[in-house]
Amino acid sequence: MNTLVLFRSCRLFATMIGLATLIGCATTKPGETLYQRLGSAEGIANITELFVLEIANDDRVIAYFEDSNVQRFREKFNEHLCMITDGPCNYSGDTMVDIHVGMNVTEGAFTAIVEDLIEAMNKADVAIGTQNQVLDRLARLRPEIIYL
Amino acid sequence: MQANFKIIVASLLLFTSLTHADTRIKGTGGVSSISGGGGGGLIPWATLGGLATQDQRSITGFITRANVDDFTLDVSGVALNLHNRVEFSLARQDFTIKANDAEISQDKYGLKIKVAGDLIFGPFPQVSIGVEKSALRDPATARALGARDDDGVDFYLSTAKAWIDGPLHRTSMLNFNIRSTKANQYGLLGYGGDNQDREFMLEAAAAMFLSRSVAIGIEYRQKPDNLSALIEEDASDVFLAWFPNKHLSLTAAYVRLGDIAGAQNQNGFYFSIQGGL
Ligand code: HEM
Repeated sequence: MNTLVLFRSCRLFATMIGLATLIGCATTKPGETLYQRLGSAEGIANITELFVLEIANDDRVIAYFEDSNVQRFREKFNEHLCMITDGPCNYSGDTMVDIHVGMNVTEGAFTAIVEDLIEAMNKADVAIGTQNQVLDRLARLRPEIIYL
Repeated sequence: MQANFKIIVASLLLFTSLTHADTRIKGTGGVSSISGGGGGGLIPWATLGGLATQDQRSITGFITRANVDDFTLDVSGVALNLHNRVEFSLARQDFTIKANDAEISQDKYGLKIKVAGDLIFGPFPQVSIGVEKSALRDPATARALGARDDDGVDFYLSTAKAWIDGPLHRTSMLNFNIRSTKANQYGLLGYGGDNQDREFMLEAAAAMFLSRSVAIGIEYRQKPDNLSALIEEDASDVFLAWFPNKHLSLTAAYVRLGDIAGAQNQNGFYFSIQGGL
């Protein structure tokens, strides 16, 4: 085995990650909840609003929402996002399974929704590291949403 | 054979032309490996190329050039992804010895099947099994060096896991392969030699998305050393991949290929462009 070759490449990779740390990690304060990092109540409401607009303009998923009550969705999604990011909210909507059962949400529709949320967070200037923490929590819900 | 390639590519394009097949998350199809299948560059990964979901089909095509001290390697190929379950790939490799402009070409045929798990979602890593068949078009060099066969088959087991919220809150991935092979320098110098046994080789990759469009990573490929006349060493690379959108990727890498056919320390740059539908 040519371990020197491997060692050199690892060193270069580590340097690249080191640089990425310097660029990317100066922003998070310890002890802050994810909810706070998203801008608390105001930030969450803004993201939800932008998210609803993204969905409204997304041909890939709009059909699912044809008969939905936008006002209710906005309110419940907002609460849900607040709760899931450790904010001070009680989610009063239905369970993920109860909501999405019978819709036959495909894997692709789930990705589309994730991309819409990413776009909403981009527009709300949420840092990518914070975005990823949100997405990680939502991704765990996927089995309660798709192909039901 | 050239004509065959074109017919196959054309029919693959026809086959997928009516599908809208890009609803996996950008970057999760990786790029095109030198043997044509989805992966990194030097090794395949458990991920299947393209962005087809279980309800879709997708196709990717690529061109790659690696330019190290004494050699160049040009690769082009296509891969078809059926329902993110089965991947067929085809590639042509043209290896040029700079000193005398001599060329060694080979064809690569690949099949990869996802058998379990998922790259991103759920607790289990994505596990795939694959077969790569290589056939030399110019076997003279391989024979002169003592290789036993002009063609050969590799089998591999591959496993990959990505974490959306990985280290530094960046989406990151690890991939490990075990390969059973007799290949000499990816098959370019034939199969088998004084050492005629199949051996298990380890391959690994790590990658991190710095942004939604830019990933960096590292790969390592352990290689056998079957020809007593020559030394063969392990290979590695460090790469930067850019995904400007879901249909295009550009990869640049620094590769260290070790000793090749008597020329030591073959290092250099690697560029690859991939298009997908
Ligand atoms: C992690 C991803 C998702 C989360 C967290 C989520 C969450 C929610 C929430 C909180 C509601 C409102 C619940 C209520 O009214 O009681 C809702 C409703 C809805 N969701 Fe999702 N959802 C997700 C993914 C999706 C996807 C991928 C689709 C389909 C493309 C979808 C389609 C819908 C529809 C159509 C409604 C409205 C239902 C109605 O009007 O009764 N959701 N979702």
